[in-house]
Amino acid sequence: MTVVALDGRGAERGTAALVEGARAAAEEGIELRVFGSPGELAPLAGVAGVELVPAPDRIANNEEPVAAVRSRPDASVVRAARDVAEGHSQALASAGPTGATMTAALFEMRRIAGVRRPALAIQLAVPGRTGTPTILLDVGANSDVRAHDLVQFAYLGSAFAAVVLGVNRPRVALLSVGEEPGKGTAEVVEAHAILSSAEGLDFRGNAEGRDLLSGAADVIVTDGFTGNVTLKTLEGTAKAVGEAVRSAARAGPRAAMGGLLLRPSLSSLRRGMDPDATGGAILLGIRGVAVVGHGSAGPEGIANAIRLAARTARERTVARTAELLERAGGTRGALRDRKDD
Amino acid sequence: MALNRDEVMEKVREHLSSELEVDRDQIAESTRFREDLDADSLDLYELVMELEDTYGIRVSEEDASRIETVGQAVDFVVARIPA
Repeated sequence: MTVVALDGRGAERGTAALVEGARAAAEEGIELRVFGSPGELAPLAGVAGVELVPAPDRIANNEEPVAAVRSRPDASVVRAARDVAEGHSQALASAGPTGATMTAALFEMRRIAGVRRPALAIQLAVPGRTGTPTILLDVGANSDVRAHDLVQFAYLGSAFAAVVLGVNRPRVALLSVGEEPGKGTAEVVEAHAILSSAEGLDFRGNAEGRDLLSGAADVIVTDGFTGNVTLKTLEGTAKAVGEAVRSAARAGPRAAMGGLLLRPSLSSLRRGMDPDATGGAILLGIRGVAVVGHGSAGPEGIANAIRLAARTARERTVARTAELLERAGGTRGALRDRKDD
Repeated sequence: MALNRDEVMEKVREHLSSELEVDRDQIAESTRFREDLDADSLDLYELVMELEDTYGIRVSEEDASRIETVGQAVDFVVARIPA
């Protein structure tokens, strides 16, 4: 049985959204240990499969994550992450501050052996394409990376796409400013050279920004700075385009008629691209499962974060990622030895 | 205390060798974390937390930032191990 440790504090849209999302996940049979204030979480008391664990302290959005996590062992997100590390639950889900969640998960669960830098991965829904989303990583864990980190991200993303999303031999690409192997920063060029002969990966070369939503690759690898800017740009663009479409559909009687006819399709497209639909980002490369819900996640976003956490744990993603890294020579030691040769 | 020091040194070597995937023989008292082992801040945090958990000590951010070599880390722990 998979048990998810849920951080019961810090959701931007309040405890009511968190309670509703947790209840929906629990009704599907996912067991939950919810860390937070028993008073605030009282509506979950007595829900089948839900255990409330008192954790009155919380880490706020404006706190420095490392100092806060190290000095506040009883904060809800730290307690929840420790719960996973100690084996009482199998995955962490949080809709609290991203930095605190990542830090708590990293410090409590630690890195997979041979991983230098864990990466935050997000699923991007590809418009008009049903089924498997594209994985983009890193979207914020590491602003500065080395070539070997990008190579490891490729393995982490590939393992996740194969194990959790069921992609047979995921196609992996490096985000750059051109398709040619020599295009990009020194780190990207070096990573390209290593990945071109890497074992255990289907590396397809460089991808450009325009390829992000084209379905050209199943996994797109970049550094955390570029990835975060890219993600926010996509979200902002999707919102602006959506508003422009709505505005155009109200421009006159004929446009309104067309808008009405298109409404079901557009609603479906909007739901598919809603950040709540994928459950948020997942921290890959640690010895446990940690899902960071979208900052403004509503009940459906919370429920999906819990579902993603449970599914990732059920599929033994951590063990299978570690096996892939070891087998393919993608650990930091193996990559260093290869460079030294 | 000499025994404790050897034990701590062995613990540090074991941790670094496993986490950084370097040969144990590469890790001596004078080994510098960043320059010689290519360890970064995350590696050092993990070492600090491992030592805190193992020996029941507390290492402040300020203290941690002053530790540059393996020997300094061992000295720091040995000086604070509860009697």
